[in-house]
Amino acid sequence: MFEQLMNVIFTTSFGFSIIRITSPILFAALAAVVAEKAGVTNIGLEGIMMISALFGVLIAYWTNHWLVGVLGAVVVGVILALIIGIFALKLKTDIILAGIAINLMGAGGSVFLLYLCTGLKGNTASLTTPNMLTPKINIPILENIPVLGPILSGHSILTYVAFILVAVVWVLLYKTALGLQIRAVGENSHAADSVGVSVLKIKYIALGISGALAGLGGAYMSMYYSQSWNNGIVAGRGFIALAAQAMGQGEPVGAMLSSLFFGFASALGNKMEGMQGFSSYLVAALPYAVTILGLVLYAATQVRRVKKHRSKKEEKTL
Amino acid sequence: MGNKRKLMFEIMRGFVAIAIAIAVAFIFILICADNPGKAMYALLVQPIFSNGVFNLNSIFIILGRMTPFIFTGLAVCIMFSANEFNLGGEGTVMAGGFVGALIAIYVPMSAGLHPAICILAGAVTGGILMLIPALAKIKLDASEMVSSLMLNYVIMYVVLHYLNNVFADRSKGATQSYPFLETALVHKMVPGSELTWGFIVAIIATVLISFFMFRTRWGYAIRMIGINKSFSKYSGMQVGGVVILSQIIGGALCGMGGAIEVLGRYGTFLWRELPGYGWTGITVAILAKNNPIAVPFAAFFIAYLNRGCELMSIYAGVPAEMLDIIQAVIFLFFAAEQFMAKTRQKMVVKDTKEELAKAEPAAEGGNA
Repeated sequence: MFEQLMNVIFTTSFGFSIIRITSPILFAALAAVVAEKAGVTNIGLEGIMMISALFGVLIAYWTNHWLVGVLGAVVVGVILALIIGIFALKLKTDIILAGIAINLMGAGGSVFLLYLCTGLKGNTASLTTPNMLTPKINIPILENIPVLGPILSGHSILTYVAFILVAVVWVLLYKTALGLQIRAVGENSHAADSVGVSVLKIKYIALGISGALAGLGGAYMSMYYSQSWNNGIVAGRGFIALAAQAMGQGEPVGAMLSSLFFGFASALGNKMEGMQGFSSYLVAALPYAVTILGLVLYAATQVRRVKKHRSKKEEKTL
Repeated sequence: MGNKRKLMFEIMRGFVAIAIAIAVAFIFILICADNPGKAMYALLVQPIFSNGVFNLNSIFIILGRMTPFIFTGLAVCIMFSANEFNLGGEGTVMAGGFVGALIAIYVPMSAGLHPAICILAGAVTGGILMLIPALAKIKLDASEMVSSLMLNYVIMYVVLHYLNNVFADRSKGATQSYPFLETALVHKMVPGSELTWGFIVAIIATVLISFFMFRTRWGYAIRMIGINKSFSKYSGMQVGGVVILSQIIGGALCGMGGAIEVLGRYGTFLWRELPGYGWTGITVAILAKNNPIAVPFAAFFIAYLNRGCELMSIYAGVPAEMLDIIQAVIFLFFAAEQFMAKTRQKMVVKDTKEELAKAEPAAEGGNA
């Protein structure tokens, strides 16, 4: 059994599927990172991905071009995130509740919106044409390298965008004025306010960026991963992204690593489905259970660090 | 502003929020229904009246459907009152239903006792499961929101594993458990309807939880901690213990609701995904403003809309999923503290002026 498992893990197709599965989670995890850095919790990622995935497909269908569809998904993502922003920041809805409302809308509302726009019920499989799907990219030179080539080359263009965005988000947060303002607002909004940073504006911007990133994640799901939209398409990835953000300690690179971990666990689950002696259901539960464990362990180390810090201080004062 | 005025304002605000949601629904209906008038009639009137007389059958359906909403609504009320965004309702409903179902299938008991034990087992399961996010939060300060969300999926897959691989009734085409023993069923209150005695249990639970929240020191502590955690801590409350207690009660209510729903509605366990009652419970709690007494009314409202959307899809061809959009709109406006703040401001000003006008003649009289 163990040997069988090892045979699966050490194949290039397994590496390929890890990256394929990781990408949408990574988009959403980056979205969670940016929002959380500004002190706003965007729990509506699930709903935003759901609705932007739908409109990505529809816009691509109407214009017959995938790029317009992707941009449309991004715009829809931004709009939804700003709706959360308006309710949370202006009308003082608790931001978690505003996010939950968007998720509600995403769950059944997207089915309704699909019917409203096209008369279709439940999925868009009948609309899909090759022009609507994001193209796969073969990277020259790299694709010919053994092992690495088949793993890293041949993904959707959005996959590469996702991993490039890890660096972009890092640069944005740590090397630009806007990033400094976002972090300042998140860490201490009163201090930021006192030096003339418009706290509200920064929070809206952070939410907008997070909506755009989640929109890309939605587009990836419907315009590459599933090749069409259906009402179970996002399947908790928005929530997993929140966990990836928390496990990755709120940093872009950390979020990427935890997203990859999720990708690994899901890919493993997919491969083990057909094997004897494994329950596919228990394997499917694994990434979620490990996240809880990861969160708890991370929190435990934090608590210990604080305690150590305190006891050191006490020693000094003694 | 006096308490009466405040209540009036809250009620008015609620009606405006509902009116906005219905206006949104109307716009959608105009776009996609062939006969908008018929669709609106099906949505708003038909759940209660048909052909000009009370439609008892439909009312029983609504009362039956609101039963699980009451349990999850109460659970969310308590958990959110302690300012804990525990979203594990979904999973604990499913787990409670499953454990209740197992006892209903495999443990023979006398008729009176059996459902009570099943429901109790469901409640205990829910309470124990909620300990995970609660302890992680209190002991380690790990986000209860994320861990409870993840917990939902863990519970779902574990239940599915046992349902499919251990307890499945292989003689049936669809995945389901063996039928419940006759003794374990929660019986119908009105024969032939969806309304079970679970509804009465839900109302009793509402009364007990309201009493607990407003008339016991534990309930008081939960509410105070929700309002100001640091202050409660410095005034000597056992914050950690009280928060954990609130989450356990929440989980127990969810588990109970799940067990009652499974034993009353179906003859066997056949949930193959999270049932959705946890999220509805959040909507109900928001509509009820975290006040347990208001939970049955909010649950009735949601169940009414639910039935209305169903009828609308049958009679006017508008997809029932419109419910989620209406719900989300109402949810957003109800939870928005600053919604209609200007009106409230005006009311305060008016009130103060009136009081001043009353006070002035008296003051002048005093001077003279």
